[in-house]
Amino acid sequence: MTDVELPETPLLDELEKGPWPSFVKEIKRAAIEQEKAMKAGKKIKLPGAAKGLLKVLELAYKEKRTHWKHGGIVAVVGYGGGVIGRYCDLEDKVPEVWHFHTMRINMPSGWFYQTKALRAICDAWEKWGSGLTNFHGSTGDIILLGTRTEYLQPMANALAYLDKLYGSPAPFDIGGSGSDLRTPSACMGPALCEFACYDTLKACYEFTMRYQNELHRPMWPYKFKIKCSGCPNDCVAAKARSDFAIIGTWKDEIQIDQEAVKEYAKVIDIEKQVVKKCPTGAMSWDGKELKIDNRECIRCMHCINVMPKALKPGKERGATILIGGKAPFVDGAIIGWVAIPFIPENELIEKCCEVLEAIWEWWDEEGKFRERVGELIWRKGMDEFLKVINQKADVRMVYAPRNNPFIFWRELNQ
Amino acid sequence: MTEEVNKEELKQKVLEYLAKKPWQVRDLAKVLRVKKRELDKIVQELINEGKAAYWSSGSTTYVTTKDKLEEMEKKRSGT
Amino acid sequence: MVAQEVEKEPEETVEIKTDFGPPHYEIMLHPIIKKNYGKWKYHEVVRPGVIKRVAESGDVLYVVRFGSPRLLSVYTVRDICDIADKYSDGYLRFTSRHNVEFFLTDPDKIEPLIQEVQEKLGFPCGGTWDATKGEYGLSNIVHTQGWVHCHTPATDASGIVKSVMDELYDYFTDHKLPALCRISLACCANMCGAVHASDISMVGVHRKIPKIDDDAVRRTCEIPSTVAACPTGALKPDMKRKTVILDKDKCMYCGNCYTMCPGMPIFDPENDGVAVLVAGKISDARYPPQLSKVVVPWLPNNPPRWPEVVQTVKKILETWATHAEKYERIAEWVHRIGWERFFELTGLEFTEKLIDDYKRTPYIYASYRTSAAFRW
Repeated sequence: MTDVELPETPLLDELEKGPWPSFVKEIKRAAIEQEKAMKAGKKIKLPGAAKGLLKVLELAYKEKRTHWKHGGIVAVVGYGGGVIGRYCDLEDKVPEVWHFHTMRINMPSGWFYQTKALRAICDAWEKWGSGLTNFHGSTGDIILLGTRTEYLQPMANALAYLDKLYGSPAPFDIGGSGSDLRTPSACMGPALCEFACYDTLKACYEFTMRYQNELHRPMWPYKFKIKCSGCPNDCVAAKARSDFAIIGTWKDEIQIDQEAVKEYAKVIDIEKQVVKKCPTGAMSWDGKELKIDNRECIRCMHCINVMPKALKPGKERGATILIGGKAPFVDGAIIGWVAIPFIPENELIEKCCEVLEAIWEWWDEEGKFRERVGELIWRKGMDEFLKVINQKADVRMVYAPRNNPFIFWRELNQ
Repeated sequence: MTEEVNKEELKQKVLEYLAKKPWQVRDLAKVLRVKKRELDKIVQELINEGKAAYWSSGSTTYVTTKDKLEEMEKKRSGT
Repeated sequence: MVAQEVEKEPEETVEIKTDFGPPHYEIMLHPIIKKNYGKWKYHEVVRPGVIKRVAESGDVLYVVRFGSPRLLSVYTVRDICDIADKYSDGYLRFTSRHNVEFFLTDPDKIEPLIQEVQEKLGFPCGGTWDATKGEYGLSNIVHTQGWVHCHTPATDASGIVKSVMDELYDYFTDHKLPALCRISLACCANMCGAVHASDISMVGVHRKIPKIDDDAVRRTCEIPSTVAACPTGALKPDMKRKTVILDKDKCMYCGNCYTMCPGMPIFDPENDGVAVLVAGKISDARYPPQLSKVVVPWLPNNPPRWPEVVQTVKKILETWATHAEKYERIAEWVHRIGWERFFELTGLEFTEKLIDDYKRTPYIYASYRTSAAFRW
C-alpha cells in the first residue's frame, strides 16, 4: 500500500496492539505521510524526522534508557522561553533527529478551537517540523515535537502570520518555559459549564495578554504558574499545579429549586447520596423539602454535582486564591493554601493583577535560584507574605492555629 | 552624562562576565553589586542588540553572550 | 522578478513580530456556545462519553468526548478536523486530560459520530461520569514525554499509558466505577506532569547517582553552572582535573546536573523504574484535597508493556472499585478503612521505604488550609 519504508521496530510494534489509540501508530503515520507528501511535491523540510524518532525510540525500548540530551537553545528572536532544546546522543547515526527541539504554543483559553486554526497549525508544522504534536502538554500549551535549530524562527514566523500565510482565523504566539510566567490555563468555565463562578476564559486571556513580557522574557528565580478554575471541583487542577490558583466560589446561599429536587428524588436516594455525604452535615431532607444550613456549608460542590438541575452556586460569586501549588522538586510537593479567602467577581481580574505584581516583585528580589513562591513563603513566613500582598490574616488560611508559642515578635525586637 | 558613561561601562563589564559562562541575572547582580531590576534592563538591551542570548535549562533560564551560546550548543550537540 | 541565489520561503522574509498573544477565545467558540456563554442551566449524562448541556434559552448541545493518545500526527489532527467540520460545524475542544470533544445539536448524529470516530481514528467514546447516579468512568491519563523526548526520564510515558489504558479500556468506555479516579504519570520525580495529587499516579524514579564521565565533562560542560545546578549542594568543582565531584549522600537523583552537563548521565537501565502513588485528590468535594502517598517504591522498567506496573495499577483500581462506597474516591476510602486495610486488601507490601524521611518539607505546612472549602 505504501512505498515508504519504515525501520524495524519489533518492540514498538507491540504498542500498536490493543484497543486504546496508539502513539506508535501516530509516529509511523507521520513518517509515512510526510515522506509521501514530499514526494508529491509539497515543501517539507524534515521528511525523515518521524522515521528517525522511531529508530531512537526503538533503541530506548531495547536499552531501557533515553537517548536525548538537553539543549539550551531558544533561537526565536525576542523570546527567552517556549523552546525546549533537544539533541540526540546517537548523533550521526540518526542524523534525522540530531536536533529535535520542541516548541510550546500558547493555546486559546479553555482549549477551544476552530478547525481552520488547527489545520493551519498542521500545515505549518508539516512543513517546518516533524509533523508530530501533543494536544496538549502538561501546562496546557500545544506542543510541536521536534525540529532543527534553523527552523525555529521560520516556524515561529509561520505561527505569527498564521492568518495571512495559512488561513487561520488568528495568529498563534509562543508559550512559556524556563524561569518565566508559564502559559496560564483555564477550565471550560462559562463557555459550557453552569458551575462557573467567574469567567475563567476571560481571566486567563487577560492575564496572558497583560503579562506577555513576563511570559516571554524569563527573569525570575524559577517558573510561575497561574490556573483558573471556575468552581471548587477544579477541573484544571489549579490547587496542585499552579503557584497562583484562582478557584471560583460563592459566599451566600446555594440556590435551590425544590421542584427539581423532587424530580431527582424519583431516581436517586437523596438521603444517602446527598444528605449523608455532606461533609459538615449541613443538609436535611424530609421527602418534600431539602434544607441547607448555609452557615455550615463549606461549598465543597458535592450536592451540586449530584443534582445540577436542582442546586446552583449562590449569587454572590467570586474566587478564592490559593498560593504555592507545585510539584515536589525541591522542598516537596505542595497543594496551594488560602492566601485570599474571597475576591468578588467584579473585582477579580484587577485584584489578581495587583496581588500578582506585588508577589513577583517580592519573589524576584528575595527568591533564591529555583525557589518557587510557596517555598519562599515557607522560608520567610506567612507573616511577611501577608504584608507583601496587603492582606490581613484570616482563620480561613489555616486548618488550625500554630501549636507552639515560639512566635517571632519582630516588631518588639527591631 | 556620567550616568551614560557608567551605564556603557557597566554594559561592557556585563558582557565580559557573560562571555565566561551562562549566568542567572540575580547572581550576576550580586557579583556586580547592582540592583537586579537595573541589570534586567541592561541584559535586555544586550539581548535586543544581539550581543547576549538566553540559554534555557527548560525549567530555568540563564543569559550568556551569543558566541558563548553557540559554543555551548555545539559542544552539547556533539557537532 | 529579480533572480535570487536561494529562493526564500515567505516565513523567512516576514518582519518578526512578538508579544501579540494567543487567539482570543471568542473566535474559537461554537455559535451555540457563544450565544449561551455564561447562561447554561444544567447538564445530564446521556450515555458514557455524551453530556447534554441545556441553556436557559432552551438551546441544547451534546458534547461528545473521545480519548486520544496525546501524541498526534498532523495527519490525524486533520482527520479530527474533517470530523469536526462534518458533525460539529467546524468547532471542537480538547480537555485538560487529552480528550477531544465535538459539539452536536442533533441527537440523531451522536451514534454516527461515535461510529465514524471509531472507524477513522480508533478513539473510544467515554471518559465521563454521571454524578447523579454515582456511576463513574475513568478519564484519560495525564502524562509527560518519557523516552519520546525527555532527557532525564526514569521511564517512558506514552508506552506505560498505552499499556495501562489497554488494560483499563472498559472503565473508560463505561461508567463502572464508584467515584472519580484520576490516573497520571510523570516520567521522573521532577514531575513536569505534576502528578502529586492524583488518585493513582505512576512516577519514574532514578535510584542511582549520575555517572561522571570526566572526559565528557571536560569536553561538553560548563563546570560552574553544572555545580550551581545542584539543588542540594552535592556537587563540587575539581579544579585540578577540570571535572566535578559528587557527594553521593546528598544527591537526590533529580538529574539537574545532567541537564546542564551531558557528561554525567543519570539514566540507568537496570535501576531506573516506576513508583506508584495513591490517594491524592484535588477537588474539594466531600473531603479536602490530598497529596498522593507512595505505596510501591519501585517496579522495574519492563518495556514494551510494563506488566508489573500495569498489574499493580489494575489491582489497586479494582480493589478500590470493589470495596468503596458510592462517591468514595481512593483517599476517602482509605480514610474510612485505614492504611492497614489498604495494604491488606491490595496485597501490597509495606516496607521501610514507605516511611517518610525527606526532611525538607517543613512541618508547618500541615496546618495550612490547602482547600477552598471553609465556612463564612
